[in-house]
Amino acid sequence: MKRAVELRLKNDMSEIAIVRDALDNLASELGIPMQALMQLQVALDEVVSNVVKYSWQDDAKHEFLVRITVHPDRVDLEIFDDGQAFDPLSVPPPATVTDGRRPQPGGLGIHLIKKLVDNFTYERIGGRNHTTLSKRCEVGAAQRSEK
Amino acid sequence: MNNSALSIAQTRAGDVCVVTLSGRIDSTNANDVVNELTRLFASGEKTILVDLGAVLYLTSAAFRALLVATDEAERRAARFALCSLAGHVRDLFEMGGLIEVFSIHGSREEALKQLGRPVPRAI
Repeated sequence: MKRAVELRLKNDMSEIAIVRDALDNLASELGIPMQALMQLQVALDEVVSNVVKYSWQDDAKHEFLVRITVHPDRVDLEIFDDGQAFDPLSVPPPATVTDGRRPQPGGLGIHLIKKLVDNFTYERIGGRNHTTLSKRCEVGAAQRSEK
Repeated sequence: MNNSALSIAQTRAGDVCVVTLSGRIDSTNANDVVNELTRLFASGEKTILVDLGAVLYLTSAAFRALLVATDEAERRAARFALCSLAGHVRDLFEMGGLIEVFSIHGSREEALKQLGRPVPRAI
């Protein structure tokens, strides 16, 4: 059994709270383990804030779609936006301190996503960016053992 | 996850200004952290210690905020340090390759011992 929630967001930073709360609610309802939830929240913030910041450069209002799907053994986060094509997987990793300077924060978020989720894919389909993050975790284990 | 809102509290221990962050620090509120730390440095604080013990998680927006504060401290010849990273928060610093970038202390007590004089005891 799986549960999916779709949310239509505006390209405004404050809208990130909407998906954040939706993921929290799904987690407490269906039993996403705490550690996985926190890591998913970080990854979700990174990917959605990137869309808000970089997908459109015209200062106009746009909308994009976030779909959260909870499976028994994993959680998928999908983002669909019709902004400029951007493959997050093409971003080079951030420079490290061993280079003798502080990391330039540009690629940090994407680097974190790669570390936090098990699967990270990007496709450009019909003029839309389709970014998918997937994290394996055992959903509902705590709920089942309570019964 | 409850207590979702970020809260920023401030106390003083001798010459050290201790800023306690709690909740989650993400792209919706990381600017509040930058603004508060910048304001404190601008008001003349010479040593700021940020206690992350009650932080649920932080994102790259939060790391950016802490990097901006580090630069600001350098510019003003002030000191900037972090303390009390819980395991999962420390993991995020490690994933970001940021453990070496900041001055990080295990606990507030340890940090204060190194950063400032002990708080004068009431007689």
